Formats: sequence, C-alpha cells, structure tokens
Amino acid sequence: MPNAELLTPGGIQELTAALQRATPSSRLLAGGTDLVRSMHHDHWEPDLLIDLSGVRELDFVRLEDGTLRVGALTTFAMLQADPLVRRHGRCLAEAAAQVGSAQIRNAATVGGNIANASPCADSVTALVALGGDVRTIDGAGRSATRPLARILVGAGRTSLAPDEAITEVSFAALGADQRTTFAKIGSRSTVTVARLSMALVIDYDADARTLSGARVALGAVGEAAFRDPRLEELLEGRPANNESARLFAAGCTDAVRRAIPGRYSLPYKQHAAVGLAYNAWNALGLCDRCEPVWG
Amino acid sequence: MRLLLNVNGMEHELDVRPTARLIDVLRLQLGLTGVKEGCSEGECGACTVIVDDKAVNSCLVLAAQARGKKVLTVEGLAGDDGLDLLQRMFIEHGAVQCGYCTPGMLMSAKALLIVDPHPTEEAIRLALAGNLCRCTGYTTIVAAVRAASEQPAESPSAPPAGEGSAA
Repeated sequence: MPNAELLTPGGIQELTAALQRATPSSRLLAGGTDLVRSMHHDHWEPDLLIDLSGVRELDFVRLEDGTLRVGALTTFAMLQADPLVRRHGRCLAEAAAQVGSAQIRNAATVGGNIANASPCADSVTALVALGGDVRTIDGAGRSATRPLARILVGAGRTSLAPDEAITEVSFAALGADQRTTFAKIGSRSTVTVARLSMALVIDYDADARTLSGARVALGAVGEAAFRDPRLEELLEGRPANNESARLFAAGCTDAVRRAIPGRYSLPYKQHAAVGLAYNAWNALGLCDRCEPVWG
Repeated sequence: MRLLLNVNGMEHELDVRPTARLIDVLRLQLGLTGVKEGCSEGECGACTVIVDDKAVNSCLVLAAQARGKKVLTVEGLAGDDGLDLLQRMFIEHGAVQCGYCTPGMLMSAKALLIVDPHPTEEAIRLALAGNLCRCTGYTTIVAAVRAASEQPAESPSAPPAGEGSAA
C-alpha cells in the first residue's frame, strides 16, 4: 500500500494551497475518529491527507447579528459546554453531549460529522432542525454557503467537491420564545450509535400556550437526516397538551413509515418513534409530563 | 515524515509514517506499551491517553495530530515520589483484575480530575463510559476514582498544607 502524503496547513491560506492538490482520492482529516478508524480497519490510504487540526481559525463559536456561527473544527466537547450554543441552539449542545464517549467528544468535530455524512450523525440531525447553512472554502480560495440539506446527498455521500473544505456551520440563533431539544435511541444509554434520533425546534407562545413553526428533524431513518413537513404541520397552532403530544407521536410514526417503507428496521423504528417523540416532547417542558399511548 | 512529539514531558524527534496512529508511535517507536490496543475503533478506551489535558483514543488520531501538544500516557502518571494518587487508590480498592483496561481507565479518570477535581458519581461514570472492563464490574473502579477525588489535591512539590483546601 503506498503511503499517503500528509499536509498540515497552519492556517486558511495554507489550507487553500493544500486543497489545490486534492483529488477525488484525497481526504480531509478533522478529529479523525471516523477516518483514522476507517483507514486502519479497511486497510486503505488516501493519496493525500490534509490535516485540518492546525487551522485554528476554524475553531470558534460566535454570535453575529442573530446568527450563531460554529467553526468546523469545534469539537463536541466544546459544543456541549459552550454557553452560546446552549442558549441559542440547545438541541445541538444536547446532541453533542450524546456523541460517543468523552474521548470521542474531545476529538470529533462538527465539520467532520457533516462531511462523514453518516445517517446516524447526532449533530447533523440537530443542525437540520436548526436550518443549518454550511460554509466552505475551495482550492481557489472561494467561499460558498449552502443549506446543510444540500450537502447531504446520501449515506456517507456529500455534495462537497474534492477540493472543498467545510469552514463553518451557522443557523439563526434561537430566542427565548423558541424551545428545542434533541433525543435519541440507541442500543444502550451512553456511547451508543443512534438507531433513531430526533431534533425539535418550536415556537411557543407562553401566553396563549400554543405551538407554531415546528421544525422536526429525524436521523438514522434512511440515508440522511431530514425534515418532514407533514409532521411539522400537525403541531401548527396546537395547544401544548397531552392530545398534541399524542398527535405528534403518531405523526412521527407516520413520518418514519413514509421515509423507509418496507425496510427491515421499519417495524422497530415506527414503534420506537413513539417513545422518542414523547421523550422529546417531555424534554421541552411545555406542559405536565405526557405518557405514551401505545397502540 | 519528521515529527516532534512531547510525551510524558520529554521531547522526541521521530521519523514516522504520515498515517501512523498515535498508539502505534507510542507503543512501537517509544516502547510505551502501557498504552493498550483493544478494539481499534474507539469503543473500549484501552488506548486512552491525555493530549493537552484531554482524554483521547490514541487509536483514532494520527501521531501527526499530536504535534506541538503534550501527550501523557500511563507511564507518565507516576512522579519521582511514587505512584499517582489515582494509581494508589486503584490498588487500594482492588480496581485492577486482569489489568488490560487499567491504563485507559486511569487516564480517563485523570483527565476528569484535571477539569473536575471533585466530580459527582454520575460525572465519574460518564467520564469512564468510553472505557470497557470485562473483569471488575466497574464498582471498584468508580470507588477508586471517588476516593482519589476526596483526597486533598496533590501538588508536584508536595507542600505540607494549603493546596486543594478550597471548597
């Protein structure tokens, strides 16, 4: 096996110079937790490996004009603890806290999670609900921004060009009248891969006690995290009560059915969606605790 | 490629394969075989080392990614005056059986105590969630970490009093 060449740019300018040399067989290395494992297990090496860890300009969280900007190299450990993320995009902090182990969260980055495009990537589900926009830079030094949903082409596939690196992901900062949470179900309580995940962002009118503008993302269902408009419409104008929780849970089951018809995991996931929906609903704290109605 | 690596307080100038994992350089080139390889995919935590005060799986990062950083392995835990408090508590509480997971457990626990000297039991369990042990059932390990956290903080120069007295 030929040895990969490793480039270690120390800043954005060196990064763009490195990107000019990238081919379809090259890879960008962020935290490494997916890529290093993959190279070792599957005995392969890219022709060129560009280590981003020296590009410290990509490690930041900033609130600018109502937009929360998260640098691509921000680790999950940083995301889960960051006061701005917890205040203005809490589902992302909650998702980050549920990624892998402490060791993984110390290394793995949000940019890497997006670029790796795993269907069960926790932060991606949260960012889809938050309406994330992904900013990139290419070998010519050009910056571009496009919605996260347009980056995610399929399982392990993105629309990123070989010479294109994610520099940040941003979304409209959530305000005090918006509630949000992330929930996932795996095979164990921690250090677990999502079998089903959900991120929820919703406007809550505390005076009228009604819901509107729901954004619901489902992850680990199909090839990439997605929003389901029919599910979101169910909650429009609804009061925050037990009946709405029931409607929401039933809607989640329907959304899962629509997403993966005939898939072997459907019998499990359509049922698990009910429990997950109630977990998420109760975490929002809008009304007294609601218990699932199984049927 | 040439790599400057600071491990356990010593600078090393090494010639490494560009894609060499940190664990391979530590074990094979520096002989630090206290770093154990178990699952090779970040599941078992036996390979845990501390890089710039943070626990990481040394099987999931390249050695080159540790350039310019301080790497601490289990070999670097003990000081000139003997074993680290955590190591002593592991022995005292019988937190070691076959011992394969122990270096990783120690390093995850050490990383926790660096940022949270007096963690709750839940924090201890969360910090160790990425470390698997097939022998102990974890109870004695958690007890050892808790015991270490309840001792007055150690200082390298070991002053008689004053350190770690803050609530």
